Amino acid sequence: MPRAKARAPEPRKLASGMLVLTGFGALLLVPPLVYIFNQPISHFGVPQIVIYLFLVWVLLIIGTAVLTHFMPRSDGSEASDDTDDSTEGDS
Amino acid sequence: MLSADFVIATAVAYVGLLFVLAYLGDRRARTNKRSFLHSPAVYTLSISVYCTSWTFYGAVGNAARSGLEFLTIYLGPTIVFVGWWFVLRRLVRISHNQRITSVADLLSSRFGKSNRLAVLVTCIAVIGIAPYIALQLKAVTSSIQAVAGASEVGRGSLTGIDDVGLAFGVAAGMALFTILFGTRHIDAKEQHHGVVAAIAFEAVVKLTALVAVGVFVVYIGGGFETIFSRAAEMGFAVQASDSFGDRWVTTMILSICAIICLPRQFQVTVVENSNEDHLRVAGWAFPAYMMLMSLFILPIALFGLTTMPAGSNPDMFALTLPMAAGQDGLALFAFIGGFSSATSMIILESIALSIMVSNHIVMPIVLRLTAGQQRSDGQGVTSMVLVARRFSIVLILSLGFFYFFFTRDSDALAPIGLISFAAIAQFFPAVIAALFWRDASLRAATLAIAVGFIVWFWCSFLPSFESVSPAVARLLVDGPWGISWLRPEAMFGLDGLDPLTHAVFWSLTLNVFILIVASLFTSQSALERIQASVFVDVFRRGPVAQGNFMRGSATANDLFFVAERVLGERRAALLFEVEAREVGVDPAMLDPSPDFIGRLERELAGSIGAASAHVMLAKVVSGGHVSLEEVMQMADETQQVIEYSQQLEKTSAELRTTARKLEDANAQLRELDSQKDEFLSQVSHEVRTPMTSIRSFSEILMEQGDLDEWQRQRFVRTIHGESLRLTKLLDEILDLSALERGERAWENAPTDAEAALDRAIAVCDALVRQRGMTLELGQRARPTMVNGEADRLCQVFINLISNAVKYNTAEEPVMRITSIVRSGSYIVDIADNGPGIAKGERKLIFEKFSRGLRGANGDQSGAGLGLAISRQIVARMNGSLELVPGPLAGACFRVRLNVVRS
Repeated sequence: MPRAKARAPEPRKLASGMLVLTGFGALLLVPPLVYIFNQPISHFGVPQIVIYLFLVWVLLIIGTAVLTHFMPRSDGSEASDDTDDSTEGDS
Repeated sequence: MLSADFVIATAVAYVGLLFVLAYLGDRRARTNKRSFLHSPAVYTLSISVYCTSWTFYGAVGNAARSGLEFLTIYLGPTIVFVGWWFVLRRLVRISHNQRITSVADLLSSRFGKSNRLAVLVTCIAVIGIAPYIALQLKAVTSSIQAVAGASEVGRGSLTGIDDVGLAFGVAAGMALFTILFGTRHIDAKEQHHGVVAAIAFEAVVKLTALVAVGVFVVYIGGGFETIFSRAAEMGFAVQASDSFGDRWVTTMILSICAIICLPRQFQVTVVENSNEDHLRVAGWAFPAYMMLMSLFILPIALFGLTTMPAGSNPDMFALTLPMAAGQDGLALFAFIGGFSSATSMIILESIALSIMVSNHIVMPIVLRLTAGQQRSDGQGVTSMVLVARRFSIVLILSLGFFYFFFTRDSDALAPIGLISFAAIAQFFPAVIAALFWRDASLRAATLAIAVGFIVWFWCSFLPSFESVSPAVARLLVDGPWGISWLRPEAMFGLDGLDPLTHAVFWSLTLNVFILIVASLFTSQSALERIQASVFVDVFRRGPVAQGNFMRGSATANDLFFVAERVLGERRAALLFEVEAREVGVDPAMLDPSPDFIGRLERELAGSIGAASAHVMLAKVVSGGHVSLEEVMQMADETQQVIEYSQQLEKTSAELRTTARKLEDANAQLRELDSQKDEFLSQVSHEVRTPMTSIRSFSEILMEQGDLDEWQRQRFVRTIHGESLRLTKLLDEILDLSALERGERAWENAPTDAEAALDRAIAVCDALVRQRGMTLELGQRARPTMVNGEADRLCQVFINLISNAVKYNTAEEPVMRITSIVRSGSYIVDIADNGPGIAKGERKLIFEKFSRGLRGANGDQSGAGLGLAISRQIVARMNGSLELVPGPLAGACFRVRLNVVRS
């Protein structure tokens, strides 16, 4: 991890990225966006909506894994704890 | 063909295996803190206790009945885990800091360690979970029946036993198993490593079983494409247009609430978490697990719908499909998988609920009852807690069984589970408010949860008895006492919504509304404000700030007794010894610090819950809870901000003062600068006058050779005189500037001032005579010693006397010199009858180059430095030289020096 940490982006930006991933992930899974893919079309015999839902699911899993990889660990210095979603940035 | 007896025997053997696993896991976890049991993989697998038999059987049935809706139950938690950084991490950190043991404990702790709220939450959880437990019993019963019903020989010893009897047997077995499993001892942090190990194992079993069935189904069905296209041909379309209606959103919201607030999920995700970083793995691994679980559910459901005879129970497809294909081995594996998912849920749920019941309901009662009788029972509370938990487990499973008994006629699994979800979701607004909203108050949270629960009970729980109770069925149609706008499934006339959506909408909307509005109208107690700050600012403050809020004093003896009752003698003794060692005193002499009391409270909270621990310690610790100042200081972030801005203000005030001082200094410097300029111009002026006359006389001498000797002599004398005057002036300037810089230093020593005065009078005698002046010598002091230097003092007197002579323009000039010793001072007055000094000049005459107006005429040769030099000299002798009203008409100068006492 030290190498990954060295070139890691700012934790607060990562946290914002996670917020976006969470928010948009939720948005993609509820109406009205799901309506777009709820068409009577099949790919490889599987209905498009099923493929769409599982695809979003897989992307969320991968996105989380990647973002988490760059997130600071909690068992390190206390400083990493201040990289909160909140705007407070004291040390 | 499988027989029921064989299947039951397998199930019992499987439970035995789990027990061994749990036992080994416990031992391993105790001896080795870094074993794989503390790994993120085991943590993630234990979280997947979320996938119960509802998933294993119910999801297939749900998919067969209502298409894709089953996915929402897993997509909601996926969202929560994708955003683990925001909610779960916060929950885990707070719970570690505060030793939280359950969701009821969390809410109670946040809202001022209120036991009443904990009791409310516990009761709702116990009632709300009953349908969920019933679901598991029903699933296990149905699966055994499905196996047994399939063959003539199959029933075996089950002959004559109906569903209810079977369910009772399952419930009793589960209760026994859970008691053996989960209540063997009390852990300091309510962590059950053995149970978690078994749960993780079960997670693997159920996943492999479902995947195995799925792969088998896809194989015999001819691949995904064939299964989907055949289903489409037969009219089982997946992409129904009503899939994504209100129910989709509702079940999604419910599952988001459930993954956080369900007692068993809170237990595994938050309480059993041994390392915050495990969430990093669980954040993506748990959604992946759920996705794998869901992957084959649609094919299984569709294949079952197309191949199984009409009217067969779609909930059991995962079991009946392999059996129909003659794959007994796979069917048995599927059965064990379903059994796994049911047992893991029942075990953990009842452990979590029993902790809540014993900590928040039984313990406070016991503590109240046994408060008087002490000393006799060292292990009393510990064993009491265990007994309470065992009874709670029995109670919880009984409730589940009774719910099953009353609703056994409804056939689908998933709707039952959703009823429980809707109940548990009532905690969600309060939990989120606890984590993020400082102003949420105890009364608001209690009221909101209570109202939400009542609405849920009316709109969701009651209608589930419709099929067994005609009274309930009538209520649904007509409303209570014929009031149609109170009909449970059409509150306030809101008709036409799906019943679940209807119940969730009203209960959660009212819940949130009341929570917010009531919080705005009520105020918080001191403890609430502190806890709110501890919760909301958990990442902002250091680990120190979680400190103790119970002030006052207690004897170590009393504290030890309390600790011993709850923690047992060994752990209590250890705790006190460690503290004593840290402080560096003998354990018997330990004087408990507030910090230690705080730590003790958290330790106790880990065993009996925050509210009970607080009550117990509050009885022993004398002194107030928290003073208002402490509240302001420790907790209030607003206060912190105010303090910070006050500091800023102070700093800027200091800066302002400094700036003003600098300005003053600057002005002084500028003044000095202008004084220096003035001095220079005056010096130049003074030097220029004699220089001019020297130059002009010497020019005359050079150019006019016909001057007679007498004239030449006169000019040379003038040049000489002017040179002398110039030299004298320069000497005086040098003398004065040296005096001012303190360079011409002399040692002040006892000197006879009277002698110096006599010497000065003698020196000036010729001058006085030349002027024709009368010198009156008045009263004279006896020889007096002053601190000074004789020559310098003499210089001062000469200067004063010669001034009096030079500036006196009177017809009959008179000078009077007197000296006396008065109150420790030697005073010399030198007065004359000259014109005196005009009022406006009195202040100026001691300045350099000031000669007074009358100095313009006459033949005086002074440069106006005499008085300035004299004043400097006297000042160096710690005396003073000033102008005083004299006995004669003219000026009178007074020298005052301190007498040296010998």
